[in-house]
Parts: sequence; structure tokens; C-alpha cells
Amino acid sequence: MKSYKELPDDAGSNIIGQVTAQANRLTERLASVRHTVAIMSGKGGVGKSAITANLATALTLAGCAVGVVDADINGPTIAKMMGVRDATLEYASTGVKPAISSLGTKIISMDLLLSEDAAPVLWNAHTQKDAFTWRSTMEVGALREFIGDTEWDELDYLLIDLPPGADRLPNVAELIPNLGGVVVVTIPSEVSHLIVKKSITMARDILDAPIIGVVENMAFYVCKHCGEHEPLFSAEDTPDNAFQLTTLAKIPFDPKLSHCNDSGTPYLNEYPDTRAGKAIIEVAQKIQDFFKT
Amino acid sequence: MKFLCIDCDTAMKFKDVTRPEQGSVTAVFECPDCFTEIAMFLNPWETQMLKSLDLKLGGSGEAAQPMQMVRSQLETAKQDSMPDISSEMGSGETAEGGKCPFTSVISDAFEEKSEPEPDGLTWTPEALERLERIPSFVRPMAKMGIESFAKDNGHTEITGEVMDAARGNFPAQF
Repeated sequence: MKSYKELPDDAGSNIIGQVTAQANRLTERLASVRHTVAIMSGKGGVGKSAITANLATALTLAGCAVGVVDADINGPTIAKMMGVRDATLEYASTGVKPAISSLGTKIISMDLLLSEDAAPVLWNAHTQKDAFTWRSTMEVGALREFIGDTEWDELDYLLIDLPPGADRLPNVAELIPNLGGVVVVTIPSEVSHLIVKKSITMARDILDAPIIGVVENMAFYVCKHCGEHEPLFSAEDTPDNAFQLTTLAKIPFDPKLSHCNDSGTPYLNEYPDTRAGKAIIEVAQKIQDFFKT
Repeated sequence: MKFLCIDCDTAMKFKDVTRPEQGSVTAVFECPDCFTEIAMFLNPWETQMLKSLDLKLGGSGEAAQPMQMVRSQLETAKQDSMPDISSEMGSGETAEGGKCPFTSVISDAFEEKSEPEPDGLTWTPEALERLERIPSFVRPMAKMGIESFAKDNGHTEITGEVMDAARGNFPAQF
């Protein structure tokens, strides 16, 4: 009796061919993107999306063509932070035209597809019972379509805002084998360091992904009365020591940044000279320098 | 997945696939030598896994539409942002312009076969009121699930008690 390897094909479904076609579609789409950068943490609530949105603005203001993929399929926030929630996506046979921010950044997010604020991402299925068996695969499929089917055209940078979880970067690395770099976001707390370390191990030691550096968000608070730096968290270790990686910048907590994110207005357009504004611009500059070397 | 006709020692070929019934897809394979047919049944979770990978049993006769998987599978989608792609798919035309005998079946394979109204099921006013409290974007799915639960458990009337009993099967509270 013949063995598996002796049978010529998979009865005509050509599953390998279908998967290859999906991969080719991604590759062709990304051919016009110069650099892909994943923004990750592993830890939730450290401000990855806020950093991504503002880095996208900083790079755009620096004259770069920038796109953002909101890879947080279940908790998408990029569209709101970048002021494009009301945008209607346009579909064509060649791809989907992304939402475009007031400054010209291109954005794709699940938030642009959902019916209402309270609508969660719910996939069509005969039963939602035991949906854990297939939901993650569906989410990776959605991410593949977001990256591969959006009409990015020529981009200098495609930023990918990853959701929390050390398993998220491997999903993206599978989709984008030539991932240009990774920016790690943390806050100065031991709890954050504990989780972020796991993601760095995954990125550096297992995936061998090029890590550009670490952004310490909410690094301190500037007292508006006396100008003193007040700590918000209590980690004793600096990011350099904790992670053995370059710290790109320490971004102070600024309520104005939070307000801009809520209202969808570009913080850097209004407050480029604040401590936080300068720090974000510094990160954007270091990302550009990373790719020049 | 490969299939072997043991008698002929020949690889079987894909022949047909049905639309899901109760979430389960049936694929038929045939031996090209003796024409013996076998049916492979995918349970709802296996069917869903295949859908989530955007793969087609029997092969894909045409290029995928942009965001095809998301557009066809997102239950809670904003309708004005999601033009219907059913008319764009499943025409049977291949990329080369030829007709593939299976393409229309394959393209539609994951569209659930429409089911008749459950025989003799009625809803009490209290149950209908509770149904209305379920968020609109999950209500059709919850209604279908409750009716399926009632049918499977021999109920002819859907009451609050039947809904309570069915509740454990659904993510939405009602």
C-alpha cells in the first residue's frame, strides 16, 4: 500500500498552493514598503498604541510616507487615536484603500470595520461554543489580509501595533519574514519588566528579530507647578539594565497626550516642544538612523 | 490530507463538497480507477478552522478578493463598509476565463445552507422580550442557537426556562 509521500497530491485541493498564493500576495504588497517596524511590549496598558500613533505622526511630519496596521484585532484603538474612526474603507479588485489621517498617514484597523462602538469582533460560525479552537487562526488570517490586501502604495515605514502577549510577534514574523525592526515599549515598573522580558526573549533569542531599542513610556511626571520630575512607578532597574537593550527615549506622562489620543488630534502637531513631544521625535529619529546604518 | 483507495492502491481525487449543514461540511472523494466514492465529514470546529485559514477544499479556482475572509466572516461588520462579495465570487469563471465545474460550489462552500424554520416552535412573549434584550449584532445567532437547543431537547415552546437552560451555550447574556 502506498504511503503518504508516494501520493502525488492532496486529492486536488492544492492546499500548499493556496497557502503559497497567500504568502505571495503579502510579499507583492510589501514590495513597495521600505521598512516594516513592529511596536510590541507583551504587557498591556503600557501605551503601545499611543506610542505607535505618535511615532507614525512624527515620521510623517519628518517627510516619510507612513502606514499603520492596528494588529490588535480585538482591542483596536489606532483609528480613534489617529482621528479616522468615521472613515469608510473603499474596496477595489486590487485591494482596500486605507483610512488616511489629517497628516496623510495610512491606517487599517478592525475598528474601521465594526458596526458600532459596543460591537466586539464576532466571527460568523455555526456555534460560538469552543471558539477558542479556531479564533486565533481567524485573527491571524485577518492580520494577513490587513497587511496584504491594503493598498499601501509606496511607504517608507509600515508600523505594526501589536496587541499584548509574547505570542504576537511570532505571528507577525511568520507573515513578514523580512521584518525590519522591533520597538519595545515598557513602563518603569517591575511588573512590566517581568512581562516585557519574555517578549524580548521571544523576539531576540527565538525569532532573531532585529530590535531597534526600548521606549520607556510614562517614565516620569513633570510637575506643572515646580517642573520637578516625579516618578509614577517604582522600578529600580533602568531599561538598559533590565533588558540589555538600547533605550531610545524616556517619555514622560503628559495628560495633553492622552487628551489628543482621545480626540484623535495629532499631539506632535500641537505640542512638538514639550518633553514628551521631543522624546517621541527622538525615537522617530533613532528609528530612521537605525535603517540608515 | 490525502486519500488512498486501498483496493486499487490509487490516490483518490476530490469530487464535490457540500455547503455546511449544522456547521458540518461534507467532502466527497473518488477513486479514478474503480470510481469508489468516500465522504469525509468535517465537524463544525474543523469546518471553522478551514474557514479561518481561508482555504478551499478542492482548490481555489479564482484569485481571492481583497480582505475576502474578513468581509465574509465578520459577523459584527459595519454593513456600509462591507460590500457584498457573494456576487463577485463563485461565478465559476477561472482566472483564465474557463469554467471550473466545481468553482461555484467551492466558493460558496462555507455559506451555511439555509435551514427551514424549526417545526412547530413557538416563542412565549416573555422569551421574545428577553430575545430583544440581546445586542442586535448577536441576536440572530443567539436565536438560531436557542431554537436549535430547544429542538434538540424536545421543546416545542421557547420559554424563559428554556432560554435559561440554553444560556450556557452562548457568550451573550439574555
